[in-house]
Amino acid sequence: MAGKSGRTISATPENVWKKQIFSWEGILVVIFLAVIVLCKLLSPNYTFVNVLREMPKYLTEIFLLFPMAYILMLGEIDISVGSIVCLSATAGCLISNAGVPFGAAAVLTLLVGAACGAVNGLILVKFPELPSMIITLGTQIVFRGIAEIVLGSGGSVSPTNMDGYRMIAGKIGPFPYIFFLVIISAVIFAVVSAKMKYGRSLYAIGSNRRTAFYSGIRVNKVIFIAYTLMGLFAGIAGLFLTSATYAANTTTGKGFEMDAIAMAVFGGIATTGGKGRMVGGVISAFIIICLRIGLGQINMNSQLILVIIGILLICAVLLPNITGSLRLKKRD
Amino acid sequence: MEKKSIWKRIADSREASLVIVLILLCAAVSIRNPAFMTLSNLEEILKNNAVTMILALGMLCVLLIGGIDISIASTLAFTGMSVGLLFKYGYMGSTLLGFLLALVIGAVCGFIIGLVIGKGKVTPIIATMGFMYIYRGLAYVIGNSQWAGADALGDFKNFALGKYLGFGVINNVIMVTVICYIIFFFVMKWTKFGRNIYAVGSNEEAAAISGINVSRVKIAVYTIMGLLSGLCGALATTVYASAQPDMQTGKEMDVIAACVIGGVSMSGGKGSVGGALLGSLILAVIAKALPLVGINSLAQNTVKGVLIVVVIILNVITKRVMDKSALERREM
Repeated sequence: MAGKSGRTISATPENVWKKQIFSWEGILVVIFLAVIVLCKLLSPNYTFVNVLREMPKYLTEIFLLFPMAYILMLGEIDISVGSIVCLSATAGCLISNAGVPFGAAAVLTLLVGAACGAVNGLILVKFPELPSMIITLGTQIVFRGIAEIVLGSGGSVSPTNMDGYRMIAGKIGPFPYIFFLVIISAVIFAVVSAKMKYGRSLYAIGSNRRTAFYSGIRVNKVIFIAYTLMGLFAGIAGLFLTSATYAANTTTGKGFEMDAIAMAVFGGIATTGGKGRMVGGVISAFIIICLRIGLGQINMNSQLILVIIGILLICAVLLPNITGSLRLKKRD
Repeated sequence: MEKKSIWKRIADSREASLVIVLILLCAAVSIRNPAFMTLSNLEEILKNNAVTMILALGMLCVLLIGGIDISIASTLAFTGMSVGLLFKYGYMGSTLLGFLLALVIGAVCGFIIGLVIGKGKVTPIIATMGFMYIYRGLAYVIGNSQWAGADALGDFKNFALGKYLGFGVINNVIMVTVICYIIFFFVMKWTKFGRNIYAVGSNEEAAAISGINVSRVKIAVYTIMGLLSGLCGALATTVYASAQPDMQTGKEMDVIAACVIGGVSMSGGKGSVGGALLGSLILAVIAKALPLVGINSLAQNTVKGVLIVVVIILNVITKRVMDKSALERREM
C-alpha cells in the first residue's frame, strides 16, 4: 500500500513459526516439559492421575491470575485479592450456614467478591493520583479485617451443609470440574485480551494512559471493569477454596496476591504495563503448580519450594534483561 | 524574591499538619483514657514500634528513588533467625557481635537486591517479591523450622531491657532509633549522597545526565534498606526475646503505610525524614489507642485499614484544593 510519501508499507510478518518458538511463551513450554520430566524422575508417584487429584487446591490461584494479568497489563497492581478471597469465602460459609440454598449462597459469594473489587476500582478511578499499590494495601487490611470481625474470636467457620461444596468439587473421569472451568476462563481471557476491543484498550492504557485517553478510550471504565473482574474471580477462588479445604478462616488466601503476580510476571507480563500475553501467564501458572506438586510429593520442605520459586521468578525477569543489554553492547 | 513569612511556611508544610494530627490524636486519646500519656506507656509505644520507625527510614530512601521494597520483613526474619540460632547453639555470646553480624547479613541481603535492581534493571516490586520468598524461605531452612526462645538467647535479650546506651535514662532500643534518625536527618539533608537520592527520584534521566551514577545510588539505597532490616532483625529478637522464622510477617506493609501517611510519594522524589517519623508515630499511636478507647481488638485491623485509606484520600483532596487555589491566585 502506497502511503502519502510514496513509500510502501509492508506489514507481512516474516517467519512466524521461528518467532513463535523463540518467543518467551516458546521458552516457557520447554521449561514446562522440563519440569514434568524432572518431577517424573524425582518421584515415582508423579502420574497424570495423581497430579490431577492434587490440583484443585492449587488451581484456585489460577482464577486470580486471569484478572491480575489484565490489571498488570494496565500498569496497575492489586494486592488486596488474598483478602477478598478470605472475605468472600467467609461470607459464603456464613450465608450457606444461615440456611440459604447453595446456589444462592454461591452467587452471593461471587457478589461479595465483585463488590470488594468494585470498591477498589471506584477509589482508583475517583483518585487517579493515588498509586494502586497503596490503595489496595489499605483495602487489603480492611477486607481481611472485616472477615476477622465477622468470624469473631474463633477465627474460623465451616459450612454445616457440605453437599453443595462437595458437588462443585466433583469430577468427570480424572478431571475435576474446576479444571474445565480454568481452561474455559483461560480461553475467554486470552481471546478477549488478544482480539477484542476491551483487551486491546488494556494494552493501550498500559503503554500510555494519556494517549489512550485522548484517542477516545474510556480509561476509567476499563480500569473499573478490570478491578471488578478481579473481585469477582477472587470470589470464585474463595468458593472453590472452601470446597477444597472445607472451611474458611482468618488466614485463608494469605499471600495469594503475590502468587498470582508471580505467575503473571513469570509468564512475561510486565508490571510496568502494556506487555505480555495471557498464554504465557497460563503456561507459567501450570509450571509453578506442577513443580509444587512434584516437589511436595518427595516431601521437600514447603519453604524450600518457596525459595526455588523465588529464584525462578528473579531469573525469569533477569535473563531477558541481561541478554538484551548484551545485545545492545554488541551493536555499539 | 519575596521571602515567605515563617508562619506561612509552617502552614504550607506537610509536617506541620501531621504534627497537628498527632497532637489531636494524643489529646483525644488521653481525654478518654488518662493512662495513655504516662511516661511508661509512651516508652512502651516507642520500644514496640522501634522496628517500624527504623525501617521507615530505609523505606523513605527506597520510595524516594521511586522504588519499593517488600522483602524487608523477610530480610528481618532471616537475620533475626541467623543471630538467634548462633546464640542458641552457643557459637556467639557477645551482644555487640550479634548486632554487627546482623548488620552485615542484612547489608549483604540488601546488596544482592540492589544488584538485581540497579544492574539487572528488574522492576523493584518483582525483584523484592522474589527475594521476599527467598529470604523468608531461608529463614525457615537455616533453622530447620526451629526457633530460638528466650532462654536460648541468654544475655542478648537483656539489651532491650537495659538503658546503658541512653545514659541510664532512655531505653537502649529507643536510643538506637534516635541515633538512626539523627544520622539520616543529616545524611538526607546535607550530604551529597542524600541529595543524589532526591535527584534520582525526581528525574532519573536528568540525574544520570548531570553525572550521578544512578545504578550505584540504587544499589546503595537497597543496601541501606537491607542494613536497617538486619538491625531491626536483631532489635526485634531482643524486644520480643525470641527469633522465629515467621517473625514480623507483613511488616513491610505497615512500613510503607507509615511512609505514605508521612507524605512520602510513591512515585519518588518527595518525602522527608520528619515525615517518615511522624507517619510511623501516627500509626503507632493509632494502634496503641484503639484498645485504650475501647474498640474491640477484633476490629482493630479494619479501623487501621480504613484510617490509612482515609488519610491518603484526604491528602489527595487537600492537594487538589491547594493546586486549585494556587492557580486562582496566579490568574488574579
